[in-house]
Amino acid sequence: MAIIKVENVKYKYPDTDKLVLNDMTFDVEQGEFIGLIGKNTAGKSTLCFALAGLVPHFFKGAYGGKVLVNGLEVRQHEIGEISPHVGLVFENPFSQMTGSKYTVYEEIAFGLENMGIDREIIVNRIEESLELLDITEIKDKNPFDLSGGQMQRVAIASVIALKPSILILDEPTSQLDPQGTEEVFKVIENLTKEGITIIMAEHKIDKMAGYTDRILLIHEGKLIDFDTPAKLFSREDLQDYGIIAPAVTRISQSLGIQNKENGLYPVTLKELSREMGDKR
Amino acid sequence: MSTMTLYVEKNSILHNTAPLTKVLYVMVSIAITYLIPEIAFVLSVAIITLLLLILGKVFRKIVPILGLSIILILSIIIVQGFFHPQNQTILFSIGFVTFYKEGLSYAALLTLRVMNMIMSFGILILTTKHDELVEAMIKKGLSPKIGYVLLSVLQLIPQMRTTMAKITDAQRSRGMETEGSLLVRMKAFFPLIGPVVLNSINITRERAIALEVRGFSSNQKRSFLNISKEYRYQTAIQVILWLTLAAAIVWRILTWLS
Amino acid sequence: MNSIEVTNLSFSYTPEIDVLKGIHLKLDGETTAIVGQNGAGKSTFVKLLKGLLRPTEGEILLNGKNTKDYTVASLAKEIGLVFQNPNDQIFKNTVIGEVMFGPLNIGQDEQKAKEKSIEALEKVHLEKYLETNPYDLSLSERKLIAIASILSMDPNIVIFDEPTMGQDYAGKETLKEIIFELRNQGKLVLCILHDMDFAAEVFERTIVFNQGKVLIEGPSRDIFAQKEILEQAYLEQPYVAQIADELGLKGSYATDEDLLRALKEE
Repeated sequence: MAIIKVENVKYKYPDTDKLVLNDMTFDVEQGEFIGLIGKNTAGKSTLCFALAGLVPHFFKGAYGGKVLVNGLEVRQHEIGEISPHVGLVFENPFSQMTGSKYTVYEEIAFGLENMGIDREIIVNRIEESLELLDITEIKDKNPFDLSGGQMQRVAIASVIALKPSILILDEPTSQLDPQGTEEVFKVIENLTKEGITIIMAEHKIDKMAGYTDRILLIHEGKLIDFDTPAKLFSREDLQDYGIIAPAVTRISQSLGIQNKENGLYPVTLKELSREMGDKR
Repeated sequence: MSTMTLYVEKNSILHNTAPLTKVLYVMVSIAITYLIPEIAFVLSVAIITLLLLILGKVFRKIVPILGLSIILILSIIIVQGFFHPQNQTILFSIGFVTFYKEGLSYAALLTLRVMNMIMSFGILILTTKHDELVEAMIKKGLSPKIGYVLLSVLQLIPQMRTTMAKITDAQRSRGMETEGSLLVRMKAFFPLIGPVVLNSINITRERAIALEVRGFSSNQKRSFLNISKEYRYQTAIQVILWLTLAAAIVWRILTWLS
Repeated sequence: MNSIEVTNLSFSYTPEIDVLKGIHLKLDGETTAIVGQNGAGKSTFVKLLKGLLRPTEGEILLNGKNTKDYTVASLAKEIGLVFQNPNDQIFKNTVIGEVMFGPLNIGQDEQKAKEKSIEALEKVHLEKYLETNPYDLSLSERKLIAIASILSMDPNIVIFDEPTMGQDYAGKETLKEIIFELRNQGKLVLCILHDMDFAAEVFERTIVFNQGKVLIEGPSRDIFAQKEILEQAYLEQPYVAQIADELGLKGSYATDEDLLRALKEE
């Protein structure tokens, strides 16, 4: 059964007349890693907010259609009821620090305490998240003494510790260096093995191609396509939506290298090398 | 970066007293100075509080605050000394200014009460970790939201300082002078304050979102990472404090009746 | 020709920990990317160039001027720095007012400041928003306003701190145009980047920072061909170079065209 069901969702922010989400419908299966792409102002962040229940509960505005997460209809439940199921990490790490905790360790505990989880489990979860994000070294530092990159890891760890069944990430690696980004993608991919469903908005197309199961392309509030990276990036009209295909795909297209079985262009190095190997 | 904490890390009997016991002490010691308006009594309460501060090894920290309050105290003395409605007995005169006994003793009473109040809050704040205090209060039924506000206010200043440093850099980079004459610094006011205000509005909204998705509005009973410290003899001390308060109330009722 | 000369530059906030140590660099006309791990000292380095921080040791010469002898404000004509977060600077209620703030500070008259500002806004394609409140625009548009507000001061040296962060394809294309144009005007452009593809494609030269030191520097092509050294600095090769490597091609590749040419020759 689908863990996320979005049915004909329409939404506009208060005091505006443009639909930021314009009749979107799609399903996500449990344990999938979904990439969310589109140009800036396409509606990616708003969609993330809608899945976490912030739209319409926090932002208000005109709302139509249905979003179901883990069987809960978002509109009918308060954010407090939705938050144990859906975790959200967004771009700016500075504003994701609570400001009421004095160490990274305590910062990660914040959500767990709110949810009334037993102390022993809290400690385990914190240790686990610190290790996953490789931030054990800074566990006693004040969150506001950290660099942007470190803070971003703490923000991710704080949400992962809550073990939500759905994790939504809106540009979570913007301040990380290349290896840091790679590590975060690996951590997230591993979470899907535990059955956690991931939705991640990112501009780093080449990374998305390698890690995601399916990619959701949106443009001006509309869902344009929702398919495997290979199919989606093989589209000829990506530029119309402000997207450029991954380097591997661009090169393959120019050279006419396609997968013989399905006619799609490779999206990862491995696929390219396999096709090239066959050719040579 | 330092947080705005007043807590002084030391090892003393007061540091090893439960936060709520100290809260109770603040309440009782203030209440009884109002219930029993006798100078000798209020003086002895103030002296006990003073001794406790010394016992807590934090007396020196309170001196500047007491110093500041002297201005307040002086004005009490002057106003009460002149204008107390029951002024009858002339104590002494300096030139054309006459001091009355009633006014001065009332002023002394007020002064002692204020000093006692400052010192007893001093005991609480200087010898208690504030997150421990707030958590103890939440466990006693304080709303976690109010608790959050109390704790986050203390981090506001260091956060603002970080933002301010970034803004100053950005504006200096655009050729704005920030050092020099008063006029120069006044001209720098809006370019510096504008982004601070706009930034904090922005951050407040985003932070509200971040808190929400981490279960801030959850109706679940909270759990706590930090284990409450075990304190000994707390019930005994608290009982004594409650009894003191009760005794003061009884004294008050009896004086009314007689 | 504009130049930056850095000799034996060291910097530390506290005596125990050096943020930067013993940096020697000479930059002239070429556009230069600065890459490195989080915390490698890149931002500290550009703040030193800009005069916002003072060297603990060593000297920085901007077109022959020693930064020690000037205040930050008086260096503003020489060197411009675009910060990461535009919200840290925007305070006027119109876009044009915001962009004119810098030029007016450095002594341009109203007329010239306005001219220069409109010119700068045209470069970032925001000229239609002159009277709009910057906070009615999106964050990525505000980033472009921050860039325009430095370009309008017409400094000889322009530094960007992570300009590609959060930008989509169109935003990056705009950035590319701006950098090429500055280059053509003879300006010296420096840019801190986490985006290796952008660095390899757009910049002639690359400096790799690692733990407060310059690990290696040289023409971008050569730098990005060295997989091991990049990994040592916790970086990655650009994708084009990764593809070349995977396919067993020798040589250095920075753009799609480079790679395609080589593959077609095979």
